[in-house]
Amino acid sequence: MTLMDFSLEESWKKIRREFDLLTIVQTLIGYSSLIVFLVLPLFSMFTQAFMYQSSVSLHWIWDIITSTDFFSFASTGGRMWEVRRGLLIMWGSDHGIFMNSLMVAFYVTLICIVVGVALAMVMGRYDFPGKKIFQVALLVPLLATPFVNAYVIGKLFNPRNGLINWLLFDVLHLIPWKVDIDGLFGIMVAQALAYYPIVYMNTVASLNSLDPSLEEMAENLGAKGFRLFRTVTFPLILPGVAAGAIMTFIFSLEDLGAPIGFVGARANPLSRRVVSYQIYNSFAEALTGGISSNTAALAVLMLVVTAASYIGIRWYVNRRSYAMLSKGGRWAVRVRKPKPAIRGLIVVALVSLVLLAGMPQIGTVILATTDWATSGTLPTEVTGRFIQGLYANPEVRGAIFNSLLYSGIAVVVMVLVGSSIAYIVGKRDIPGKGILDTLATLPVAIPGISLAIGYFLFFSDVFAGTILDPLVDPALLLICAYSIRRLPFTTRSVGAGLQQVDKSLEESSMNLGANRSTTFFRIVLPLIIGHIINGAILGFVYSMSEVSASVTLGALREDRMPITYFISQIVYGAAATGSISIGAALCVMLMAVQIAAMAISNYILKQKSSFLGV
Amino acid sequence: MVKVKLENVTKRFGEIIAADNVNLTINDGEFFTFLGPSGCGKTTSMRMIAGLEFPTSGKVFYDGEDVTHEPSFKRNTGMVFQNYALWPHMKVEENVAYGLEVRKTPKDEVDKTVEDVLDLVGLAGMGDRFPNQLSGGQQQRVALARVLVIEPGILLLDEPLSNLDAKLRVEMREEIKSIQRKLGITTIYVTHDQEEAMAVSDRIAIQNKGAIVQVGTPKEIYDKPENLFIATFIGKGALIEGMVEEVGETIKVNIGASIIEGVNTGNVQLEDVQHVACVIRPESFFLDEPDVPCNVLEGVIEWYAFVGPIIEVKIIIGSSSFMIDAPTDREYVQGEKLTVYVPKAKTIVLPWMG
Repeated sequence: MTLMDFSLEESWKKIRREFDLLTIVQTLIGYSSLIVFLVLPLFSMFTQAFMYQSSVSLHWIWDIITSTDFFSFASTGGRMWEVRRGLLIMWGSDHGIFMNSLMVAFYVTLICIVVGVALAMVMGRYDFPGKKIFQVALLVPLLATPFVNAYVIGKLFNPRNGLINWLLFDVLHLIPWKVDIDGLFGIMVAQALAYYPIVYMNTVASLNSLDPSLEEMAENLGAKGFRLFRTVTFPLILPGVAAGAIMTFIFSLEDLGAPIGFVGARANPLSRRVVSYQIYNSFAEALTGGISSNTAALAVLMLVVTAASYIGIRWYVNRRSYAMLSKGGRWAVRVRKPKPAIRGLIVVALVSLVLLAGMPQIGTVILATTDWATSGTLPTEVTGRFIQGLYANPEVRGAIFNSLLYSGIAVVVMVLVGSSIAYIVGKRDIPGKGILDTLATLPVAIPGISLAIGYFLFFSDVFAGTILDPLVDPALLLICAYSIRRLPFTTRSVGAGLQQVDKSLEESSMNLGANRSTTFFRIVLPLIIGHIINGAILGFVYSMSEVSASVTLGALREDRMPITYFISQIVYGAAATGSISIGAALCVMLMAVQIAAMAISNYILKQKSSFLGV
Repeated sequence: MVKVKLENVTKRFGEIIAADNVNLTINDGEFFTFLGPSGCGKTTSMRMIAGLEFPTSGKVFYDGEDVTHEPSFKRNTGMVFQNYALWPHMKVEENVAYGLEVRKTPKDEVDKTVEDVLDLVGLAGMGDRFPNQLSGGQQQRVALARVLVIEPGILLLDEPLSNLDAKLRVEMREEIKSIQRKLGITTIYVTHDQEEAMAVSDRIAIQNKGAIVQVGTPKEIYDKPENLFIATFIGKGALIEGMVEEVGETIKVNIGASIIEGVNTGNVQLEDVQHVACVIRPESFFLDEPDVPCNVLEGVIEWYAFVGPIIEVKIIIGSSSFMIDAPTDREYVQGEKLTVYVPKAKTIVLPWMG
């Protein structure tokens, strides 16, 4: 293209043409919210982490990396496996806070990949009794029971009166020792049970989009069984597996629910030796006026790990998007009916997995409806008083009200910002939309706790004394944190809807004399409203059960606390007071909201609730 | 009604040139067609007239006014899209009323006009259906009604019939033509179907690889193709290669076995020994010598097929094969020789294109 083609006047006309009122408003909404509530807070956190004696320095980062308290190749405590006095102790060994986090995340991801891929293959390729039920039951771990899930696992494996130890050791004599699962190992178990559906669902999705003729071709050429899986199937579904795995890895690293839950259940100091907990713990400093550079550096380091691994995997996945390569032909799914013995084995294995993975949810319901919290091994009476407590107790009622309010507003914000960005990115050709797309995806890779640190540093400094100052009122910031953290998912949900709106539907409207705004509101919006409502419903559920920002920023003012913070406080102190049941009742409420939302999404809006993925 | 002028219009999509220095004037009330193979840039040319695409360079004028950078919604054109682009969430009457509503037309006037237009396109009483309850032909009519209702200065039709079956296609094109005549509206039509283009157009622009290669009435284009691409793209002509032997009143061409004479319909002077092609259409072959100067050719019958009014006979002449529209009143035998007569005036000689 020669310079002659673009006179200044022509360029100006082009800009005038592309930036009509709607585009300007949408672009401004997108950029301003992402800059103020994502870029600048992160910038504040980086500034705090890289400033030492008023100059830019790696001092704080270096401090962490070289400290054996954070990175240690030799174990400095804990027990990997040890049998002592008839007790199999599994706590995990302490290699320093940062190494611990990385190792837990690594093993959790590994377990989730193995379990998730195996499950996906079994569910996707075999026919057996009860398959429909398992399809739903396998997703039970996705029901949010923040903190209480880990508490339940800690309680079940308690060596003194834990239900599982009692059942397997005292009653059935199936195991030679009682098992003591706690500390890092406990966190790992709780996370693996909660996160395997992420890998499973992503793998199932890629398996379903895999053209069966590709496998049939390989079989035709003589590849069978594991060889077929290893050489054709697995490489083709690998992008899906990788997408699920990276989400698992990030979720595990940033998770606060399991550490706090285990601290609450057993008070083992090893449960505190992970990065997310350490940052959370030092947030107490915030109340007295500041976040230390050390904490900021830790949050930065965690962000670097999650962002780098996310970007790496995304690059890999984008490079290998195989789906849709082959066209035409039949798409009969390759489902086989194995021999009765194998079918039986599959059912037994799945039932065990469902029970094992559903323990936290089942346990939560039992805690909420019985006296199990204080009765020891088994519950002795059914009671409705904890569920009643949800509306009888003014403190609980306040927290519920806060969460409903924050989530309701957050949904409006995320839908507004998300659909603006999705429209600009998906339908418009304007300069800078690539940056917008990247920024809107970024929150997936940012640990919530790092974002919370950034929010505190930025808003308590720049907006000190105003309504945006978390020390004055954290409510607005919580709403923004919910919106921004959920934004990538909302944007994608709306984007998927927009993809189905053919360009010509908009063009015909503009051709008939409607400007871009009229076209957007009268043509585009009605056509994607289902996707928007779906995004809103899932966003609401997410906001209700959000943890990282809620337990940090939400802690700054008692009367502004959301329910997750309230639950965390109950669970944290539960070892002492035993009032866990009210927290469990709140979790039951969360699960009910979530089930209702998924039902609406699936059966009324007919959307696939693909809530996770790269 | 509007007169459209394109001046040096070029459109690039990255490396691809979709429209290459297009210069055209489309007259007031004219039925003008862009014809060309798929990917030739004809739709892009139309979209630039509609304001849905903007030229990389060059200008678009409506009645002498520069509208190059005006957005589509300010141009008062009516475009019927290839896929109709009916809004699935609106009823037929809502689809049709849309253009009037965005123009803030009073409600009772909208109702009246919508009714009239639905009547005009033969959809009276169908207003309360949704697009997915209509057949392809009916959807087509809605798309047409939707743009006619705003009384556009220019009617733009982008391959409007390509999704209909053969019979409906002929029916609809006649209907479109008659509506256009009735309203006297400047109409621009895009198609890759040359028969369709011939049937409806006042003038046709043939576009190839972005550039307009010939503009003319259907008869001019059929009888006097300016280059070999047009000669073979229009009609079912086949060709035979040769060298120019002599340039005179007719062009004498050596085709190896014999010398045939034809006319140069292109605008480039031919020279001796130039590599050329002789294009002959099926209807130009005669089995009995007509009363005009003819080339006499010997061929061998390869196969034949009865298609109703004629028998299609394929014959081999030298190394080329030709299709002949042969009369049905005689016998054809595969492998037998056949002598054919081609009027010299119907033998088109054009420079060879690599």
